[in-house]
Amino acid sequence: MTVTAESTTVVLDPRRNVPGARQGFGHTLRAEWIKFWTVRSTPWSFAALFALGAGLTVLVCATSAEWLASSEADESPGSFVTWGMMFAQITAIVLGTLAVTSEYGTGMIRATLAATPRRGAVLAAKAAVLAGTLFVAGVVTAVVGFLGGNWFLDREGIGLALTDDGVLRSMLGSGLYLAGLGLFAAAVGILVRHTAAALSVVLALVFVVGNMAFLLPGTWGEWTAKLLPGNAGSEVTTPVSFNPELLAPWTGFAVFSAEVLALLVVGWLAFQRRDA
Amino acid sequence: MIAATGLSKKYGAKVAVDGISFTVQPGRVTGFLGPNGAGKSTTMRMVLGLDRPTAGSVTVNGRRYQHSPAPLREVGALLEARALHPGRSARDHLRWLAASNGIPRSRVDEVLALVGLEDVAGTRVGKFSLGMGQRLGIAVALLGDPPVVVLDEPVNGLDPEGIRWVRTLARQLAAEGRTVFLSSHLMSEMALTADHLLVIGRGRILADCSMPDFIAEHAASYVRVRTPQRGEVAELLRTAGAEVGTADDELRVQGMDAPAVGELVGGHGLLLHELTLVRSSLEDAFMTLTASSVEYSADPVGALR
Repeated sequence: MTVTAESTTVVLDPRRNVPGARQGFGHTLRAEWIKFWTVRSTPWSFAALFALGAGLTVLVCATSAEWLASSEADESPGSFVTWGMMFAQITAIVLGTLAVTSEYGTGMIRATLAATPRRGAVLAAKAAVLAGTLFVAGVVTAVVGFLGGNWFLDREGIGLALTDDGVLRSMLGSGLYLAGLGLFAAAVGILVRHTAAALSVVLALVFVVGNMAFLLPGTWGEWTAKLLPGNAGSEVTTPVSFNPELLAPWTGFAVFSAEVLALLVVGWLAFQRRDA
Repeated sequence: MIAATGLSKKYGAKVAVDGISFTVQPGRVTGFLGPNGAGKSTTMRMVLGLDRPTAGSVTVNGRRYQHSPAPLREVGALLEARALHPGRSARDHLRWLAASNGIPRSRVDEVLALVGLEDVAGTRVGKFSLGMGQRLGIAVALLGDPPVVVLDEPVNGLDPEGIRWVRTLARQLAAEGRTVFLSSHLMSEMALTADHLLVIGRGRILADCSMPDFIAEHAASYVRVRTPQRGEVAELLRTAGAEVGTADDELRVQGMDAPAVGELVGGHGLLLHELTLVRSSLEDAFMTLTASSVEYSADPVGALR
């Protein structure tokens, strides 16, 4: 047993402490950036995103170019030049989900919130890192896929130019849509705090429910299908849509953005109130 | 300094922490002792603003943790050693923490060396043993060179050498004038490390006193006497004002120290076969104290003696 005299008036030499400025949003952003890139799932997911997004576009353009150039074609080449982005969506959803649920799964959320107790700042920094990275990755992937796929279309004389109607918009839109999907998945992740559950909910909503909703009868069913996030948001990613029933690209994206924002607000409210 | 007033936490109908008030002073190690489920971790999570108190409040250096201008440079905490992503290396884990509070990068290598993890800094922490994880947790706590250090069960999973290291570290941090708040469910560990003791049971503070006071008050002692003339000796000691109990073939004497017993018995020409001062262990004292907290709900007066 060790007993020392109690001293209640000791003052720490302030110079002993590690120097540093007041915690600001820049610090939080930097911390989230390091966290994002120092787990292996991130580079792997981006590799998958690029391989699926650009690779599948090139592949489908290469194999369909001849048919598209023939008189039998009943689709526009504009529907094919971003074809692979449909699959890149999956990796964006995985990344968005993991950015949040891996913290809950491992208990790291407590370290995060002890380091940065301002929860709004944590959420904003996470969202900024996720959306920013996905936007850049989405645009780059879409452009590479377009350039590769278009090379095959050009050989058949049906190539598109970047300046053609909707092409540039679809490149930008691919980045925006992936960023939005990542945020959507992250918001669901905050609410359910479980990787498998969050992934199932988002993938089902975007891919399964989104497609099944077209089977709903009447005007009511038609609008439900149009407004579902996956259907409303994805229009902006293709120069010419496969499905003419959907909302106009930017109208649809505005609806999608509103849905993502609403979900983020609900997630933020829960995040502020809940115990970590 | 950490100060709690009327701090309470309920999870549904279950009361985890029941209106406790205490202060943790700088310059000494304050041990937070209680059986598992007594409310230690919940209290520490509330100190760090992770859990929201149902009632009451707790401040660190006079303000809520959430309002600290640079949290890690104010309070360093080891909450759960496994509060980290298994796929990230120890260095990367410290790197993002340092970045979050504007702590220079050089400090990361400093604390890695301090806890002896510099050789495995690049290893993913999923491969760490419990003890290495605990050391990393302590590195995290020391990253911001904070004046307040909160350690929840720091010796869990450590080998004897590691336990001694934590003990020395805690004492050293306190000697430097820092506030050290350390929880454990092991009384024996506390006896070696803490200057001041805060005992919690069932969400209530059962004792808040210095370690010597705690020992004096709770660790009962008696003098064991073995003699072939039990009846005469017992009679003699009782007459002299001691309390004498019998157990097996021995007498248990309280209220008189061993030399006095020896002199008295010898002075009357009686025989002694054994004369020993027996102290019940602190562990026993702790068990007695916390066991009574179980009875608290039935008998509010009995618990605090």
